[in-house]
Amino acid sequence: MKKLTYFPGCSAHGTSEEFDSTLKLVLKTLDVELEDIPDWNCCGATSAHVMTENLAYALPMRNLVLAEKLENTTMGIACASCYQRMKVTKVHMDENPELAKRINTTVVEEGTYKGTVDVKSMLQYFYEDIGVETIREKVTKSLAGLKVACYYGCLLTRPKDITKFDSPEYPVSMDQICEALGATATEFDYKTECCGASFSISNTEVVINLSGQVLAMAKESGAHAIVVACPLCQSNLDMRQPDIEKHQGVKYDIPVFYITQLMALAFGYPAGELKFPKHIVPVEGALANIGKILPVPEKVKKPIKAVEAESEDK
Amino acid sequence: MITLGTQGKNTFLDDVNIKSGANVLECYQCGKCVGTCPVSQYMDFPPREIMQMIKLGLRNECYMANSHWFCLTCSACSGRCPREIDIPAVMEAVRHLAINENYVNDSKKVKEIRKFHDIFLDMIKRYGRNYELRMMAEFNIRTRNLFKDMHLAPKALLKGKIPLGVKPLKSAKAIKRMFAIAEKLEKNK
Ligand code: SF4
Ligand code: SF4
Repeated sequence: MKKLTYFPGCSAHGTSEEFDSTLKLVLKTLDVELEDIPDWNCCGATSAHVMTENLAYALPMRNLVLAEKLENTTMGIACASCYQRMKVTKVHMDENPELAKRINTTVVEEGTYKGTVDVKSMLQYFYEDIGVETIREKVTKSLAGLKVACYYGCLLTRPKDITKFDSPEYPVSMDQICEALGATATEFDYKTECCGASFSISNTEVVINLSGQVLAMAKESGAHAIVVACPLCQSNLDMRQPDIEKHQGVKYDIPVFYITQLMALAFGYPAGELKFPKHIVPVEGALANIGKILPVPEKVKKPIKAVEAESEDK
Repeated sequence: MITLGTQGKNTFLDDVNIKSGANVLECYQCGKCVGTCPVSQYMDFPPREIMQMIKLGLRNECYMANSHWFCLTCSACSGRCPREIDIPAVMEAVRHLAINENYVNDSKKVKEIRKFHDIFLDMIKRYGRNYELRMMAEFNIRTRNLFKDMHLAPKALLKGKIPLGVKPLKSAKAIKRMFAIAEKLEKNK
């Protein structure tokens, strides 16, 4: 049995509880034991780095220092924002011992930062430490028939010098995992566009616009559903979808799954355990495609559309 | 580095470069960042213009622009910048400098964005973790917009999307201490 230090993040007990609970099911099948960081604290995303420099490092550092006391040397993080703050802090501290020393003064009582723990997003952990082949072997109920658009957002693969994972422009790790589950990943050009992130509450207009474009492109790619690995992306695309539909006057009706929900489904867990009722956009329509035989795709030429002038230089 | 006429004091360009670790002088104004940025249409000045303004030493104008408040740190621009400039770090540097020098942009949007972050940090300071419903409620109260997103509330609550409970962390004290020391560090620099 493998062991993994786990940082759940604040939303694990709130908006993204279904991510947390299905992640645990998946890891049970994959024979990985999670060890929570004792007494972990909020990493400060998405506000600390906006307002202050020191706090933005201090909050994640406390978790890193606490994690270093555990035996495992890899920390897995479900939430993409938490992952990014933690990883940025780790990389900057390791590169700059002077800075690490200064920030360490804020958490002296917890201990000295050593830099011995590696930080990975759960997606990265699945891809690098578990491997697509192992995931494929565990599938008992193929998702064949389901077409999904894999949406990575900004934080899982960017900035590339920090994450050192997959491609910052057109990542494929989640697509490969979904295909291993039997699903078909569509060709989706908005994989790493921003959903509006933390503006969900303070600047809803931006989220409606940006997430609206992601939904439109996912639909156009022919997907029945969107797959994500980030709580912020999930809530912007799912919870705000009715608002976006109203605003744009279109009906998308495209559910937004966490990758772990689909993995758990393919690993044979009953749908009743996967927290589908928590979704704002109902999932049944999309899931009904599982088992349907896909028509052989015609070789159509992809139309080359002019990219909308979304961000003209003023 | 240009230091003309500054009598030994740091230029705005120096300040930003030191704080961000980037070299803004490298920017050759290609505009790739603007085409990439998902929120450039909301900015007073898109990233490319901010770069030039920094080079020109337009300190006040940069501080007062809403651009650095709108930057989502999505790092799409820096990934494509042919000069490999860490643009979000530059945006962040300008924002931190503006905050530390008490510049206030009082347009409605910026005020709301700032309020959100203040409430968020306040919540961590008090509880060590963030509680989403409280967060939303406080944001609405503090921006005097009580009914914002109310249409979402019943659905979200029913579906257990947003937890009601708030309980401070065991280590709430440690967090308070961290905030105090970090604040001091911020001032001492
Ligand atoms: S992409 Fe880089 S070089 Fe081009 S304008 Fe933007 S900051 Fe300057
Ligand atoms: S990091 Fe900021 S400036 Fe760069 S593309 Fe994203 S939002 Fe725009």
